[in-house]
Amino acid sequence: DSHIQYERVGADVTMKCGSMDWDAAVTWTANGTDIDESHLNGSYLILKNVNLMQSGQYSCYEGSSWHLKYQTSLRVGTSPREPVLMCRSNNYPKGFYCSWHLPTPTFIPNIFNISVIHGTKEMVCEKDAVPKNRCHIRYLQLFSTVKYKVTLTVTNALGKNFTTLTFDEFAIVKPDPPESVVAKPVPNNPRRLEVSWQNPSSWPDPESFPLKFFLRYRPLILDQWQHVELSDGTSHTITDAYAGKEYIIQVAAKDNDIGTWSDWSVAVHATPWTEEPKHLTTEAQITETTSASTSSFMAPPTTKICDKGAVVGSGAVAVCWTAGLVVAAYSVLFI
Amino acid sequence: MAGADSPSAALRRRDLCARGIRLAGKMRSDVVNLLDAYVERQGLDASASVAAVEGVPQAAVERWDEQTGTQRLLENLAAYRAFRALLAQMLEEQREQLGEADAALGQALAAMLLQVSAFAYHLEELLRLESRGPPSEEEDGPPPQPQGLFEQKLRGLGVLRELAQWAVRSARDLRQLSKPGPGTGSAPSPSESP
Repeated sequence: DSHIQYERVGADVTMKCGSMDWDAAVTWTANGTDIDESHLNGSYLILKNVNLMQSGQYSCYEGSSWHLKYQTSLRVGTSPREPVLMCRSNNYPKGFYCSWHLPTPTFIPNIFNISVIHGTKEMVCEKDAVPKNRCHIRYLQLFSTVKYKVTLTVTNALGKNFTTLTFDEFAIVKPDPPESVVAKPVPNNPRRLEVSWQNPSSWPDPESFPLKFFLRYRPLILDQWQHVELSDGTSHTITDAYAGKEYIIQVAAKDNDIGTWSDWSVAVHATPWTEEPKHLTTEAQITETTSASTSSFMAPPTTKICDKGAVVGSGAVAVCWTAGLVVAAYSVLFI
Repeated sequence: MAGADSPSAALRRRDLCARGIRLAGKMRSDVVNLLDAYVERQGLDASASVAAVEGVPQAAVERWDEQTGTQRLLENLAAYRAFRALLAQMLEEQREQLGEADAALGQALAAMLLQVSAFAYHLEELLRLESRGPPSEEEDGPPPQPQGLFEQKLRGLGVLRELAQWAVRSARDLRQLSKPGPGTGSAPSPSESP
């Protein structure tokens, strides 16, 4: 007769050999290995302060006949800690999804139950097959001021726990990052880079629910980003790139009116167009481009320092290039 | 009078929609600021849930994506006409409560009232282009005025919150309207007033 027995880490466990009397002669095994008599109290098996390693199959055999009298699968674990819950709408206005996980494992099976209430109405969150621990909901109403309350309960054999999130429709809107970001040099323009991208494919209706974008870029050798906010369009030309320097570029998206910015897109690299030096051979060209990023940094002769146009960004990000250059020159020497 | 489908009407509609969208965007950011100031000045709790108050148009809508262009315009117009009357009452209440002590809040409310009126006008013009014309306002009485001071403040909170939602909804509605295709149709709305 086979059971599963769940016990808390650190607990003292007493196993009885089925219906056998206390003074019966028995042998206990753990995963097939005999257990020393010192752990027995009569025919009872005593495990003190159990740990995870002691999980396994325990069997009890009658002394002389070796009949199997009792068998149990011991699972040592913990009751659940408060789960971590997150809800987000990356496909507004279709709906939103919630996903969850436990901050620490319990080592035994857990059941998650989620409830979503909008005002007085209970809504059904449909569980996703993949990934697990995620469910999605279709919006029945739009533009509501009534908040959503999501409660996640986690239960296992040793206990339960729960967490609640309350939010309004607009607050959880966060698109996925823009896709297919491409950055290309512009022929005959040593200071330009053309960047283009696409709306995230999960955003269902960019025409009625347009996204705005945030572009950030910097030469690899500098730490400070330049930022540009774009209220429409899915392309932008950078016009103040340093000639010959490799750039790293990323884009983020946000609904025009509500919610928060997406994560940054995958980073793309690009170097502005440079004029082919006519007097060098092919070998020397290769040497020149590979040493360009490691040699001491020098502003290209065509770059004006601290043009009005070279001060970009706003607020905390607004910075003059010279400050960056001085820092960069020193930092490059230490690379 | 240009027919609903003539090129000049289409241009005028796109122009009105574009301006309306910009106006809605400005209304939204202004009302969000006004809401913060209002909550502070009136000593309210920003997280308080305000039950739907009589006379305050709710922005919440089901099957929003299935609405026709005319439905959108009519619902928006009814809402902004109501907001016009409500904001006018709020201005009066505010003058009575605080007198000259809070000119800034009064000015902000007055500015909001102007924007709401301008938006209502845009909607009326768009409805005229649908060769339907806006419904008359004669039957609309003023909204019921709450009696107690606290009730007035709560209603004010409700008004500004719903207006913030409406401003977002209106921008979306106008974008739907300016899309080419069936969304701009003037199919008779099932909730046509007699």
